[in-house]
Amino acid sequence: MNFFPWLTIIVVLPISAGSLIFFLPHKGNKVIRWYTISICLIELLLMTYAFCYHFKLDDPLIQLEEDYKWINIFDFHWRLGIDGLSIGPILLTGFITTLATLAAWPVTRDSRLFHFLMLAMYSGQIGSFSSRDLLLFFIMWELELIPVYLLLSMWGGKKRLYSATKFILYTAGGSIFLLLGVLGMGLYGSNEPTLNFETSANQSYPVALEIIFYFGFLIAYAVKSPIIPLHTWLPDTHGEAHYSTCMLLAGILLKMGAYGLVRINMEFLPHAHSIFSPWLMIVGTIQIIYAALTSPGQRNLKKRIAYSSVSHMGFTIIGIASITDTGLNGAILQIISHGFIGAALFFLAGTSYDRIRLVYLDEMGGIAIPMPKIFTMFSSFSMASLALPGMSGFVAELIVFFGIITSPKYLLMPKILITFVMAIGMILTPIYSLSMLRQMFYGYKLFNASNSYFFDSGPRELFVSISIFLPVIGIGIYPDFVLSLSVDKVEAILSNYFSR
Amino acid sequence: MEHTYQYAWMIPFVPLPVPMLIGVGLLFVPMATKKLRRMWAFPSVFLLSIVMLFSANLAIQQINGSSIYQYVWSWTINNDFSLEFGYLIDPLTSIMLILITTVGVMVLVYSDNYMSHDQGYLRFFAYMSFSNTSMLGLVTSSNLIQIYIFWELVGMCSYLLIGFWFTRPIAANACQKAFVTNRVGDFGLLLGILGLYWITGSFEFKDLFEIVNNLISTNGVNSLFVTLCASLLFVGAVAKSAQFPLHVWLPDAMEGPTPISALIHAATMVAAGIFLVARLLPLFTVIPYIMNLISLIGIITVLLGATLALAQKDIKRSLAYSTMSQLGYMMLALGMGSYRAALFHLITHAYSKALLFLGSGSIIHSMETIVGYSPDKSQNMVLMGGLTKYMPITKTAFLLGTLSLCGIPPLACFWSKDEILNDSWLYSPIFAIIACSTAGLTAFYMFRIYLLTFEGPLNVHFQNYSGKKNSSFYLISIWGKEGPKTINKNFRLSTMNNSERASFFSKKTYSDGNVRNMMRSFITHFGNKEIFPYPHESDNTMLVPLLVLVFFTLFVGFIGIPFDQGGMDFDILSKWLTPSINLLHPNLNNSVDWYAFVTNAIFSVSIAYFGIFIASLLYGPVYSSFQNLELINFFVKMGPKRILWDKIINVIYNWSYNRGYIDSFYARAFTRGIRGLAELTHFFDRRVIDGITNGVGVTSFFVGEGIKYVGGGRISSYLFLYLFYVSIFLLIYYFLNL
Repeated sequence: MNFFPWLTIIVVLPISAGSLIFFLPHKGNKVIRWYTISICLIELLLMTYAFCYHFKLDDPLIQLEEDYKWINIFDFHWRLGIDGLSIGPILLTGFITTLATLAAWPVTRDSRLFHFLMLAMYSGQIGSFSSRDLLLFFIMWELELIPVYLLLSMWGGKKRLYSATKFILYTAGGSIFLLLGVLGMGLYGSNEPTLNFETSANQSYPVALEIIFYFGFLIAYAVKSPIIPLHTWLPDTHGEAHYSTCMLLAGILLKMGAYGLVRINMEFLPHAHSIFSPWLMIVGTIQIIYAALTSPGQRNLKKRIAYSSVSHMGFTIIGIASITDTGLNGAILQIISHGFIGAALFFLAGTSYDRIRLVYLDEMGGIAIPMPKIFTMFSSFSMASLALPGMSGFVAELIVFFGIITSPKYLLMPKILITFVMAIGMILTPIYSLSMLRQMFYGYKLFNASNSYFFDSGPRELFVSISIFLPVIGIGIYPDFVLSLSVDKVEAILSNYFSR
Repeated sequence: MEHTYQYAWMIPFVPLPVPMLIGVGLLFVPMATKKLRRMWAFPSVFLLSIVMLFSANLAIQQINGSSIYQYVWSWTINNDFSLEFGYLIDPLTSIMLILITTVGVMVLVYSDNYMSHDQGYLRFFAYMSFSNTSMLGLVTSSNLIQIYIFWELVGMCSYLLIGFWFTRPIAANACQKAFVTNRVGDFGLLLGILGLYWITGSFEFKDLFEIVNNLISTNGVNSLFVTLCASLLFVGAVAKSAQFPLHVWLPDAMEGPTPISALIHAATMVAAGIFLVARLLPLFTVIPYIMNLISLIGIITVLLGATLALAQKDIKRSLAYSTMSQLGYMMLALGMGSYRAALFHLITHAYSKALLFLGSGSIIHSMETIVGYSPDKSQNMVLMGGLTKYMPITKTAFLLGTLSLCGIPPLACFWSKDEILNDSWLYSPIFAIIACSTAGLTAFYMFRIYLLTFEGPLNVHFQNYSGKKNSSFYLISIWGKEGPKTINKNFRLSTMNNSERASFFSKKTYSDGNVRNMMRSFITHFGNKEIFPYPHESDNTMLVPLLVLVFFTLFVGFIGIPFDQGGMDFDILSKWLTPSINLLHPNLNNSVDWYAFVTNAIFSVSIAYFGIFIASLLYGPVYSSFQNLELINFFVKMGPKRILWDKIINVIYNWSYNRGYIDSFYARAFTRGIRGLAELTHFFDRRVIDGITNGVGVTSFFVGEGIKYVGGGRISSYLFLYLFYVSIFLLIYYFLNL
């Protein structure tokens, strides 16, 4: 047995190394950039190394476990551990954050603080994905809110304060319910508070209480994930934030909601989940259609992409609610796949905004000629987002579809209806994403300004988009890359539902 | 023999390196890749030729041995769910393989010249090879999921290629329309696949057919549900093959470059729907009603396509409607259960239509230099005419294609169309009457195209088509550089002088330094009067594919002609398709009734001649060489005594010219509907859902302000309030105690 505290190091490294940024010499932004990117790379390599050599894929139990007592009075532990469910999002976090720091190179205003906040967010996200203690989970969950708020309110568009306030109010409002749920779950039953994930997983609650807990957690995750009608912070936030922040938001932050839904609601509260799952299914279906319909009405490019990610998260919710092996696997795959695609789309939207300085789609047009590379990448990712076969989105959605079809929980008619409505979403997706492409790139337009600053994407930007593109294709062609991580854990979770 | 089958999985992947290399090259080393330009045509042609030889080998084995070979490997998702991938080589597949590769190679060779001065030459070849890859993948798939994957990939290629000239707004709209319409079909296809999976638990064709057969015979499944699933599957085919309700994308798809229209939108991709129905025919035959639905859709499309083709001005659009109508024939044949006739027509039509499109491409290519690069002008048949003099080889090829499509005996389409018409008499007389009269219409519109294009005088010179006629030398570049621009003389000469470009690729016209400059302005005006003149014949690299296709058009019909050999009927196609189904001819091996054949043939040929006669009456140079200048006004001048006739003609013309009002109906019903719905949800989202949030924020702001105002810090007011409330309580207490 290996006692080296891998996870602690992984969680603590970014924020502690990030705080050193303030002691770096004042030699311009270059030092800070390189420092941050190297921290991110080291972290990513460390993560990969640790998971390669110390993580066994075929074991559904918690691995790399660490447990240190922190506060004795209420049995609060620094307890970390990962399993098949969390390894995917953690790797995604490492990947996307590294690329987001690379994408954030043009940020020059207060770059020290900016990069520190990015690293702090890194820690918070990995921490919440890997914590094995309810209170620690809550703390980590809150920890990454602050950097996001600051990132939004300081480096954004014109309405950034409004969006940042909206974001913090929404998420803080959701966190109240999360805290209630955590405390309720911890204090229930025994005299001593039990915050350990393992003990709470094995505990069973009265159904009424379980439903209350479930509802509390659900609201918190519904804000984060977003589930309608709690989604309106997302378009505003994404519309205003700097694109590297957007990458983090779309790529990772939204996934925390879905992760929490699986981790806590499905694993700990199976009864309530099977009661709630039809409703979740309906909400998810409505969400797909609703967001896909709202999206073409948006004039703002980033808001349109934001609604598309709301629509895609609907598939995750449906997959989670289907309570089948296939469906849950599909949901996890969709989490990962949308993490890549959403981040890349926001990145490309941001980079093209940097060049043409236009926000509204109807003012754009004809920029394909000066910027063929951005055009190529944007088209590829739009295709990925509309679930073109061969790319990850297609596999995820297909597996979710199969999850519903094979689900034993639902009757024939509801299944047919849900599948049908979901498939209508499949028609709506190309309408908004292709018309976005058309409005941006197709056609011809004379720009009044001289063409001098219309550079095509440089090697850095090309590198970022291609390194996101490769996994998208890779997963699309061979989805077992991701699925092999989670398959056993998913089976273990679902065995709860059929044994009881 | 077996060993060739083992490598059959390679077929789709052989042309794949070209698009990958070009894509990577264009992204990372654009300059170097562009310098190699026409070198890239070689590997794509070469690789596709390899596939062609390979599939010819397979086809020969199929003819001799007729074995179905299938190998499967799986793509595991988890323990109890896995997608299996494999390939299936059967007669249907080998026919499609031969078709795709032969037409594909011809079109690639052709487009090397056609696109040679386009800025997107490399992009074009990348897209083209990728579409070949996915098309080959589609026909070799062994299960429904695989079909779906390649189905969508083909759709994407079609999207990219229609929007190839993305600076044209029309092309941008057209490609989106094509993709969305096809997506509606994919929606049906996916739901159908899921439904069938739910019923049978399998995607493999063989298992699927067996299980559904068993279930139907034992009444083990709700027949309504099965019919629903099957018709959903059929929706996919309807969209891809441009059948009646979802045909709107095909005419617009003609915005793409002409070689694409030949390959994808006439010969291969649109045949995918036919392929799918043919592949699933064992399934469809056991399910009630679905065959009737298929033949109904087929006959509607036959008629609709033919009537819409009557008055199009754009040469490619009329060919597109003709394609639609011919695809309707195939669908009709499949719905009638005559599998063999449908496939036969698929083959013959593919070659003839590819020939016609390549011919029209050649025409457009030479018209472009005179009238300009706007498709409104270069594809406008009103401006053409009399091209026989200038491009005799194209004319011959085009004429042969036209005759073949009209169904004139020795040419390919005659045999297959005749077979379909024969079978339709057996199936239902009403359908047969419609199909036969449409054959006459086909002859009419095809000859209308031919006569307008090649006969009579060259209209462009003395017809003031538009106000801009005199400035037809002032062309708007499709790449957006507007305004006159001088270009180096070398380049200009190279476009005009064919002699220089007889060689396969002439790199010497691209001097290294100004490649980009020239490419940017590659289409500009040609200012010199002495070069202006007449359309010229296309280059050899364009003519060779035409001639090869002429060869195919002449002789491909013979594979379906029965030869008497030792008392047994012996035609290659039947032998090829031995294991397939034939509902209408249960006793296939009886000798063909030559008498019936001849009478039927005479009947259909006379209908075709009648159509040709009418066309030449209306559009022929003999009758009115001056009147056809104004097509629309033509019938007005016919004299007052035939007012009713005029009215009918006008109605037909308006119907055809406005595309049967279907497009505008869709635009009104669906496009506006979705836009309105989007606005509505957007409004709801902003005003209601977001409004609640903002409302909460604003209320809390006002409450806070109110409290701030109240809590202004004056002790006297606090005291006053305090005393006020105390006194109220005292009063209440007092009254209660009373």
